[in-house]
Amino acid sequence: MKSTGWALVEAAARLLARDEREAVLGDLVESKENAWQGLLGVLGLVFRGQALPWKSWRPWLAGFGVALPSSFLLMGFSLSVSWSYLTIRCPELLRKSSLTLGSGSLVLLCQALLLIGWSWTGGFVVGSLSRRTLWASTLLCYSPCLFCLSRFRVESLSRFCLLLFLLPAIWGVHQGLRISRLKRNWAMILAITITGLMLLGWSSRAHHWWAPPRWTLDWALCGPAWYLVATARRATSKAGWGGSDGLWSEQREQQTGMP
Amino acid sequence: MLGEFEYLLITAAAGLGEEAYGAAIREEIEATTGRKCSIGALYTTIDRLETKGLLKTWMGDATPQRGGRAKRMVRVTPKGVSAAKAFYDAVTRVSRGASWVTNRTGSAS
Repeated sequence: MKSTGWALVEAAARLLARDEREAVLGDLVESKENAWQGLLGVLGLVFRGQALPWKSWRPWLAGFGVALPSSFLLMGFSLSVSWSYLTIRCPELLRKSSLTLGSGSLVLLCQALLLIGWSWTGGFVVGSLSRRTLWASTLLCYSPCLFCLSRFRVESLSRFCLLLFLLPAIWGVHQGLRISRLKRNWAMILAITITGLMLLGWSSRAHHWWAPPRWTLDWALCGPAWYLVATARRATSKAGWGGSDGLWSEQREQQTGMP
Repeated sequence: MLGEFEYLLITAAAGLGEEAYGAAIREEIEATTGRKCSIGALYTTIDRLETKGLLKTWMGDATPQRGGRAKRMVRVTPKGVSAAKAFYDAVTRVSRGASWVTNRTGSAS
């Protein structure tokens, strides 16, 4: 395996998991295939490995249903949080908003918690659904960010205000990759808290100054939290019926997950 | 129910017994069917069958004729044997009366 052709084969094989690479390269040597056939074989295997997860609805939902739209919405909400912060820091803006420092701070706290909740649950769902296609979901999340960052023109705010949601979202992705499903009680508490905070924001008088009414979009951001409730409940009920299906699906997720 | 290629792979692995690993299974399938078997199809199918619990794989020893690379050994599980038997029975049942089985020529009228 010293020729340039075989060097290419070995380079392509680096895209495979370690054990698979070892077995495939060994098979190619043993079956005395030429470098071109070997390269085609390895690239075919890499392509199949990448394409296979896309046969499921999960990566599609994670990428196009959650990561892409949520990044747009959460950037807008990050901006709202930043604007609220700026308002309570600036007496003139606070006066115009007809809020007191106390009520303004309460609204800011409520918004900040909501931002963390929405971002974390969105990230968690993306992480748990994407697995081997996380790269695509990440791309679909970051593309709108780069687009908006390049066009952001508000003098009083830094453009990085748009990215306030990223840290809790990344934390959520990390957790989603690790544990895949929340316990039902935790998922329920989280979803109710997030929905409650959202309704509080709607009902508060302050809502009219920190964001325009956007009921549908806010409910869309609550979607991942309620998805976590739905999936947690389903896993519990399957296990409760005595079958091993719940466990099996968990194992399958792990086997088709990140190497 | 198994697919055609899955059945071929399980049958080849079962026939090879303790010597079942990627290159040997591939050679066996190509020799018996006369069709080219790509590495991509082979390993993707092995992964899928292992996920379904029909095969078990593990890394074997490295040998000089493989450039010091280890083999991915394959063993058919009892569940895999049952699945292959179910496929074989279904093919046998559905083939009864077919012209190529009863040596009749032409289509049935």
